[in-house]
Amino acid sequence: MMRAIAAALAASAERREAVALVSVVQATGEFLPALGRHLVVWLDERTPLGDLQLRDLQPRLLEEARTALRERRHARLDYRTEAGAITLFVEVQPQPYHLIIAGAGHVAAPLAVMASLCDFSVTVLDDRPQYANRERFPTADRVIAGPFREELRKLRGDRPTFDPNTCIVLVTRGHQYDVDLLLEVLDDPVAYIGMIGSRRRVRAVYELLERERGIPRHKFDRVHAPIGLDIGAQTPAEIAVAILAEIIAVLRKQSPERS
Amino acid sequence: MTKPFYCQLQQFLDEGLTVAVATIVQVKGSTPREVGAKMIIHPYGKHVGTVGGGCGEAEVIRAGLDVIADGQPRLVRVDLTEPISMQSMGVCGGVLDVLIERWGPEETEAQNNPVQAEV
Repeated sequence: MMRAIAAALAASAERREAVALVSVVQATGEFLPALGRHLVVWLDERTPLGDLQLRDLQPRLLEEARTALRERRHARLDYRTEAGAITLFVEVQPQPYHLIIAGAGHVAAPLAVMASLCDFSVTVLDDRPQYANRERFPTADRVIAGPFREELRKLRGDRPTFDPNTCIVLVTRGHQYDVDLLLEVLDDPVAYIGMIGSRRRVRAVYELLERERGIPRHKFDRVHAPIGLDIGAQTPAEIAVAILAEIIAVLRKQSPERS
Repeated sequence: MTKPFYCQLQQFLDEGLTVAVATIVQVKGSTPREVGAKMIIHPYGKHVGTVGGGCGEAEVIRAGLDVIADGQPRLVRVDLTEPISMQSMGVCGGVLDVLIERWGPEETEAQNNPVQAEV
């Protein structure tokens, strides 16, 4: 059984799908037989793997485990009956965040490597195959060479919008591409959008879009531009550190995980 | 990019190894790692992952070797709250509860719990 459970968890990790492992921390009375047992729970209605012998409590456990999965945080559950008590730990293996890097230039290369180290699933996109290729991005999950906006739309697939699991970094070689892509995703509920450019330049772009396209200013409030935390970064690799640090700050601080 | 934890665990089980898995299930105060951090304790010392390093982790490794030997899951409390001095072991100042369980290739869940037979 333990082997089947490890195999199921490994398969989900490889498929990058969210999964939870429920383990027994402590048990007394009628719950004693649960000690050392496990249950694997997925977000969908798939039959859980394993058996904690919780009987009537199982539906409640499944609901609470799926809530933890949706909220991307581990949970500790205490159940008590007249005949005993049990403490469970719901270990959440969330779906990795998807980082889309538009632009395969000097900042993108170190950013892709560091994001992979931090367990992001990474897609790099550029219209120049001599930049967007496996040799330059050996750790990326996907490297796409093709027209920016068209390829970004393809990445969205059948879904109407990118989901809150997505982070988008706009670091193309020309500001017109960054802005074009920004307009494409401006209404998508993504976790993070950042765009490279100086403060002055970014402000000018927003003013232009407001004036000529009638896009209200507040729509740009959630765009991180100039991109990255202000750590005085200078080299491309340092800028990549600043960008990734900003993304981590946004993701970690929005979730209740560290509170 | 690092190999997913459970892929590594599965590989050990496929190789016929019995290991222990330690998971931080609760923390109080300032701790070196967060709830959910995991580590595989390997019988010959090729451990994978970390529950915080240092002396606290050494305690977890020792307990893990006991778990590999007897199969009894344990909840180990690692206390890093000693007063600050040159001799003190912990530097973080918190307390962690670590659940340690045996994972083996032939392990059935009942074997993991010898107590169960008498209950």
